[in-house]
Amino acid sequence: MKKKILAAGIAAGIAAFSTAAMADAVTDRQAAMKEAKQNFKPLVGMVKGKVPFDAATVKKNAMAIAAALEKAKKLFPEGSEKGEKDSRAKPEIWMMKAEFDAAFDKAVKLAKALEGVNDANALKGAVMALGGDGCKACHKQFRLPKKK
Amino acid sequence: MHRHMTKHPVLWSVAAAFLLGALLVAGLYTKLSTPLPESALPAGYRPDIENGRTMYHAGGCISCHRGRGAAVEWPAGGRPLMIPGGTLVPPNITPDPETGIGKWRPVDFVNAMKRGLGPGGIHYIPAFPYTSYAWMRTEDVLDLFAYLQSLPAVRNPVERKPFRLGRFALAFWKWLALPPSGFRPVPGKSATWNRGAYLVLGPGHCAECHTPRNSIMLLDRSRWLTGGRHPAEPKASVPSLRGLVRRGRYKDAEDLYNALKYGEAMGYEDLSAGGMGEVQENLSRLPNADLKAIAEYLVSLE
Repeated sequence: MKKKILAAGIAAGIAAFSTAAMADAVTDRQAAMKEAKQNFKPLVGMVKGKVPFDAATVKKNAMAIAAALEKAKKLFPEGSEKGEKDSRAKPEIWMMKAEFDAAFDKAVKLAKALEGVNDANALKGAVMALGGDGCKACHKQFRLPKKK
Repeated sequence: MHRHMTKHPVLWSVAAAFLLGALLVAGLYTKLSTPLPESALPAGYRPDIENGRTMYHAGGCISCHRGRGAAVEWPAGGRPLMIPGGTLVPPNITPDPETGIGKWRPVDFVNAMKRGLGPGGIHYIPAFPYTSYAWMRTEDVLDLFAYLQSLPAVRNPVERKPFRLGRFALAFWKWLALPPSGFRPVPGKSATWNRGAYLVLGPGHCAECHTPRNSIMLLDRSRWLTGGRHPAEPKASVPSLRGLVRRGRYKDAEDLYNALKYGEAMGYEDLSAGGMGEVQENLSRLPNADLKAIAEYLVSLE
């Protein structure tokens, strides 16, 4: 009897732990993606001519974006969207995990390409490549629209 | 039999009323299913293919009619589309004579776009948004037809599902859903504003997703463009297009123009998910003046 209670306790503990871990994964990856977004914004501002071009900022922000994306990529454990009201992850992520990972790798690659941009003319192409072929391409396929 | 019925005038009245009702329904159904004749088209019209291309991208035809494999750039149809209550396979609208619309006359295309009627009088399922296209100028529809006919013909048979009973009921739904007239410019508003309103209302068919529907799936005109349910994603909704500046979604018309032109490539992250990414890509191919008109009209909605 004691053994059974102990086993049930352990099972419940594991379940609670994994649920908590799933919720953490959602919170952590959202924080990482937000960091990528915050670092991307000033670069868009430079392309639009609202912020003056500065190669050091481009390098610093692009490195931060690449690091944030690499971190976020590891935070999509299977089933982590279930029961998470705030998660906009589509089930397709886990149905096509290889494609999803490849889309993430591509975004990281484009962010790293941005690190070396040192003139204003090359910036527009590199920013739009990351935003379009990186962020957008993946969000189109794997992200849900907002729920009101 | 006769003597029996004369004793029951109520029965006679009920039978007569029923017969009259059936005749009315049949008459109305026939009227709703009768296509426009060729004489309804503007005489001697010479279509403008370039304007047809604009209509093609404003309508985003490719998003639903996209072909597969080698035909991925052309509207050869065949990719299942999720709609409320099931899936639908959009047809081939390239000019292939056997599997596309190569044999259609211009009037057939006008009937499809503005009346939701296919050749033979079949009522189209309104996932094909003729309820919006009905607002379009007939000339714009003819231009679009000319543009489609100028595309490469792709041979791709798409099976059509028979849906007889549903389509009978659909005739009456269409009677309620089709707009009473074409688009009329609003006096006192600029030409640009009216151009934007026309593109949003007619070819752009924005209201089909951005306006809520009532219990029989009619657009709720009292809540025009205030957002709706997502047609394919139960976990998501479609945002309101009113108060875009007041709610801080966009700074001004220029900001919205940039959003529609570049989408998330310039950081506008709300324009990627749920099908809007494709919409934005189609819109980005419009002439800049048209895209600016759309932005000017939308930011004016409070």
